Amino acid sequence: MADVTITIDGNKVTAPAGTLLIEVCKSIGTEVPAFCYYPGLSLQAACRMCLVEIEKMPKMQTACTVPISEGMVVHTTTDKVRQARKSTLEFLLGNHPLDCPVCDAGGECELQDMTFSYGAAESKFMEAKLHRDEQQWSPVVFFDRPRCILCYRCVRVCGEAMDVWALGVQNRGSASIIAPNEGDHLECEECGMCIDICPVGALTSGAYRYKTRPWEMKHVGTTCMHCGDGCKTTLGVRRHETGMQIVRGDNRDKSGINGDFLCIKGRYAFDVTHSDERLTQPLVRHEGRLTPATWEAALELVASTFKRIRDEHGGSAIGVIGSNRTTNEENYLLQKFARVVLGSNNIDHHRTADFPALAAALKNTQVRTAGMRDVFNAKTILLIGNNPTDQHPLLAWQIRNNVRLHKARLFVVNAQDIKLHRQATAFAQVPSGSEAFAAAFLAGNDSVGESVGGDARNALLAMRQALKGAEEAVVIFGSEIRGAQVKAAVNLASALNAKIACLGDYANSRGAADMGLYPDLLPGYAQTSSEIFTGHWGALPEQPGWNIEQMVNAARDGQLRALLCVGSNPVVRYNVDPFVLQKTFLVVNEMFMTETASLATVVLPAACAYEKSGTFTNTMGDLQVVKKAGDLAGTKPDFEIVIEIADRMGFDVRKLVSLGGGTRADMGQSRGAQTGEADRHAVWLEAQNLEPRMTPFDPAAVLDEIQRLVPGYGEASRLNVAAGNDEHTTALEAGQGSATSDPDLVVPSEDTLFTSGTLGRYSNTLHSVIESRRKVPADKKTPV
Amino acid sequence: MNAIRAIGGILKGMSVTFREMFRPTIVENYPDGAGPYKGARFEPRFRGLHVLQRDESGLEKCVACFLCAAACPSNCIYIEAAENTAERRISGAERYAEVYNIDYNRCIFCGFCVEACPTDAITHGHGFELATFNASNLVYRKEQLLAPMPKEIQSAVQREELRAHAPEMAH
Repeated sequence: MADVTITIDGNKVTAPAGTLLIEVCKSIGTEVPAFCYYPGLSLQAACRMCLVEIEKMPKMQTACTVPISEGMVVHTTTDKVRQARKSTLEFLLGNHPLDCPVCDAGGECELQDMTFSYGAAESKFMEAKLHRDEQQWSPVVFFDRPRCILCYRCVRVCGEAMDVWALGVQNRGSASIIAPNEGDHLECEECGMCIDICPVGALTSGAYRYKTRPWEMKHVGTTCMHCGDGCKTTLGVRRHETGMQIVRGDNRDKSGINGDFLCIKGRYAFDVTHSDERLTQPLVRHEGRLTPATWEAALELVASTFKRIRDEHGGSAIGVIGSNRTTNEENYLLQKFARVVLGSNNIDHHRTADFPALAAALKNTQVRTAGMRDVFNAKTILLIGNNPTDQHPLLAWQIRNNVRLHKARLFVVNAQDIKLHRQATAFAQVPSGSEAFAAAFLAGNDSVGESVGGDARNALLAMRQALKGAEEAVVIFGSEIRGAQVKAAVNLASALNAKIACLGDYANSRGAADMGLYPDLLPGYAQTSSEIFTGHWGALPEQPGWNIEQMVNAARDGQLRALLCVGSNPVVRYNVDPFVLQKTFLVVNEMFMTETASLATVVLPAACAYEKSGTFTNTMGDLQVVKKAGDLAGTKPDFEIVIEIADRMGFDVRKLVSLGGGTRADMGQSRGAQTGEADRHAVWLEAQNLEPRMTPFDPAAVLDEIQRLVPGYGEASRLNVAAGNDEHTTALEAGQGSATSDPDLVVPSEDTLFTSGTLGRYSNTLHSVIESRRKVPADKKTPV
Repeated sequence: MNAIRAIGGILKGMSVTFREMFRPTIVENYPDGAGPYKGARFEPRFRGLHVLQRDESGLEKCVACFLCAAACPSNCIYIEAAENTAERRISGAERYAEVYNIDYNRCIFCGFCVEACPTDAITHGHGFELATFNASNLVYRKEQLLAPMPKEIQSAVQREELRAHAPEMAH
């Protein structure tokens, strides 16, 4: 829209006509206080806090609902405005209990802040406050009615932004109350957005409740360890007898790809980190039973056995299974360890999407991969397969809000009537397994029309028409499409001139694929003979190794003599007969005593993703930082474990983690205690060609190598990643890939909002909500 | 002459002594005196060992708001909060301090915690004999800091408990 010029407190400001006055004020640094206004949600004007004076208007106006127009003259600092704010606050405090010392929001309460800045010291009200007992609406949501100031933020975020509509307003006027959809309790997606968005302490979190206070915590911005979307989550951490304990997850600063969005897993399922079932001591099988051992003894046993088997039977007698939840650095290190130290290409992981096939299909095309931000800004979204509401909550949020705020068109092709149908411009229900045919049909291949059935064919035909001339499109497909079929999705994206994305399930599924946890692919989907890597690492085994299935068969035949299994549960995921692994020297790095760990010869207690540093790549290829928040005495990060094993096998660890010629940096003596001094010191080190890295356990050294060697990662700005932003990587476009990898090895996690693979089984919160036990998913209930 | 001057000097000196005999004594009988402070006496505003107060019904006043810990310049207060339940009510509000430690190795008795406290739960008592041979003894736990339960409430509570358990006992 055309720009208009208005005057705010004597300053001339130019902004597009129709912009909300409160936003314009914000843009020039003039604070207009408000409770009910929230960017991205519908306008309410319920709190009356943002009243300003506009010349030629008879009364004061709410800045949050006034679109600016040419020549407006606004005053925000007059006595009248000041008095209005004071009165509004006095009114809001009329029934608000003064229990700030016990309120969870105390210290980060907007009402507290506003009263401090604009309120009166005393109240004229003499009446007794109306007390109501606190209600528990679900295991994670508590409601304290007297504290509520009726800003309706929770109602709007739950309905408009989450499309759940579980909260509403009962009664009228001063008797209004916020009410849950089931009368006395909530049945919803349990995302906790209402708690997060509440400006006061009316809605409080069951997980964080009365644990601590905001200023008592250290806040660590890291990446969520659950699904593949890679939401940034800010963890509140407190000291605890066994280390640092995580007590809260949220993202109030709206940084990262997810803004303030988090689902139940990101917000509450950090409780796995302090589960009672965490392993904190290495276990070694002794006379048939797993018995506690020291780290030294366990690592020595692992290293000496690996060394013996490698020297006697060759590296191909050892297999390695990597994880979907370890960092990029750890995955990279693990496959390097397998290939360089063990001399074995027998490395695989639990595949949840066919990334190598996508890389192969993208070869020689103009199709680019989409990032998570693209989904929020695209004009057309085509979703084939998957149910993002359950499996990719952030993706669903991006799609929903893109449709709501930007009027994007959403086209859904699915075997089920998924919840995103509600936002869809067009929906086609195709028979399960024919998603790829649907994609081919949409791309213009009429010959496959028969495979999808008559009704679906008509729906797809209409969709094909509607998609014609689509601009800024994104094609997203789930793991239903794999192997050679991926080509159909890529062809469709190519025909639509669209970006493409493939949905993998776990926090670092994409990273595991990008970092080469494949028997036939090196990092960046490179062939095993790739000169990029042989040039740096020396000779590598060229013959592709065994995949998981072949490893299991080899174990049955007694050919696989040792197996290192890092953060993975193949016994359950691939339905392995436990007796098959009996003859194998099985080493498992795990957080919990999983089915696989209980078969192991040596179990090494591993730190989880919230207890180490590194990077994750989400399923869309966005690289983000993982920072250490909590820690648990007794565990070690997988990075350190692998280095220690290599070291004890007599391998020069400098060849694994390039330390740039060794420990050349000074030991920190020149570092001072003043703010910023450490940073200046780092700059000085850089200028002197010294490296601030001191130990082979530093993942940053491996990230250096990844950026140097893995195509598609080099362009990512380290500065940006370190600062907590996301950087899109393009390993899929750059790599060779492999269209021949076995599509049957792709086993989707089938997670819902309330499960998270093996990890989710140990989260009490995920089990505590009633929705996790219900057969019908939350979104299938009719909205109230 | 000299003798007179000498006697005069003695009389002058003794006059002070005799005069003081009839004035109230200012020497304290510490540590042989009576009372919890063994005869030591303090100005009312003396800042000694902290006392965590109880309200008139015997519940703890502390609601674990952490403001004392936030105000503390030497960072010597450590709190863990927990929630009152209907069966186990510790404080007057929803929350109470499950753990409340003051590290007297670090405490400088500045009184900021007392000023910060919104419920007047933490106060300075007059306890001053903190010397110890072992520094780890100087971390005082909540049990050491709490004011004793008033006698009449204690007996009332006991009666209540007896009554509550009476049916069980009858069986």
